[in-house]
Amino acid sequence: MVYARGMGQLEPFIGNMTGRGFNSTGSLGYLPSVSNPDQAFADITRNEYLDFINNYGDFENDLIAQSQNDTSLIDQAREDVASASALTRGVAQRNASRYGGQLTPAQRQQMDRRLELSNTLGGAQSVNDARLAQREMNTGLLNELINVGQGVNETSQNQLGQSAANASARNQAYQNARAQSRAQTYSTLGSLGAAALFMIPGI
Amino acid sequence: MGSKPKKKDYQPTAADRASASVAMAQYRYFKEKYDPLLQQMRDKAATGDGAKKTLRGRGNADTMQALTAPSYQRAQNISTAGDMAQAYQGQLGVANRSAKDIENMMKTNVLKSARKQAATAQTGMAQAARLSTSDALARAKNNQDVAQAKLNAAAQIGTAGLAKGYDNYQSTGSVFSSEGIARDANGNPIKLKDGTFKTENQTLGSLFGRG
Repeated sequence: MVYARGMGQLEPFIGNMTGRGFNSTGSLGYLPSVSNPDQAFADITRNEYLDFINNYGDFENDLIAQSQNDTSLIDQAREDVASASALTRGVAQRNASRYGGQLTPAQRQQMDRRLELSNTLGGAQSVNDARLAQREMNTGLLNELINVGQGVNETSQNQLGQSAANASARNQAYQNARAQSRAQTYSTLGSLGAAALFMIPGI
Repeated sequence: MGSKPKKKDYQPTAADRASASVAMAQYRYFKEKYDPLLQQMRDKAATGDGAKKTLRGRGNADTMQALTAPSYQRAQNISTAGDMAQAYQGQLGVANRSAKDIENMMKTNVLKSARKQAATAQTGMAQAARLSTSDALARAKNNQDVAQAKLNAAAQIGTAGLAKGYDNYQSTGSVFSSEGIARDANGNPIKLKDGTFKTENQTLGSLFGRG
């Protein structure tokens, strides 16, 4: 799997920043001038999210899929069963020839049967062990991912909560300002009325 | 009455500008130096960074080292090959499992780091939103104060005008005329025989027309 490489959204972002809150100098040897930190901050935040999606979105999706579907340990164990038999038969034959030992046909037949049996039993055990290991690995990976996701969820909830609190504060401030404005308007009108009454002769 | 506030008096201080500038430089440094490293880690983690090959090689070597030492007895033993096959498979199984463990750890570490970056940005977003909200509230409050001040000023002017008009009406019979000291052609007050000054009704036009 080839994932996105490079700075992703950052390059256009730096371009966009020029003339806004940030001027890129194009070199780390110089300090960039930040005329509007608030705007620069907001842009960085937005682009950090886009960067993540661009560079790590597929990676994360693959990892989630792997935690649920991965069978690589089991597949590898099956492959190893096939190769182990041929390998160990060759080792045994070469060792026997090095010492000049000659097995009788009955012994050779017995050895083959023993090897086949051991390989089959060992293979079955190996694949079963791999199944257990695979399940353990996938569960462990899923747990890790859930923890990561929980962190994401927590951050998002906090952010949403903050946004809701901000909206509520804005609304509250608007209501307060409106009430204050009405009160002051009535107060001013009252003063005007009192002044007018004061000027009417006989009152 | 004080002078109008100047926007330049509310510009960020030198310390603020330096702080923002350094922060931006550090951020760029991070993005240029460390972000690519994390992406390299991501690509390595995707393949397990050769851990599987290394560990399987080691498992294979351990098995062979332990079970293939030169021995006539072993060469003649009919169960040697079977035992070796079982041991070999077992060792490879352990190696595969360890490699997968390493691979998964690398992957989750990369994801955690990447997610932490995004989470840091999100926390920043919340902070930025909070700052913006404070700004918006302050701006709304300022607008409200300015509008109210305009209304109050208009009311004060209106009240003063009404009072003056009433005063004029009482003394001259006209709202727009006031009683003032009469002056001759040279602009000198005209004095009466009893020592008091002569008065006359002055309109707004005569006030401005006086030389």
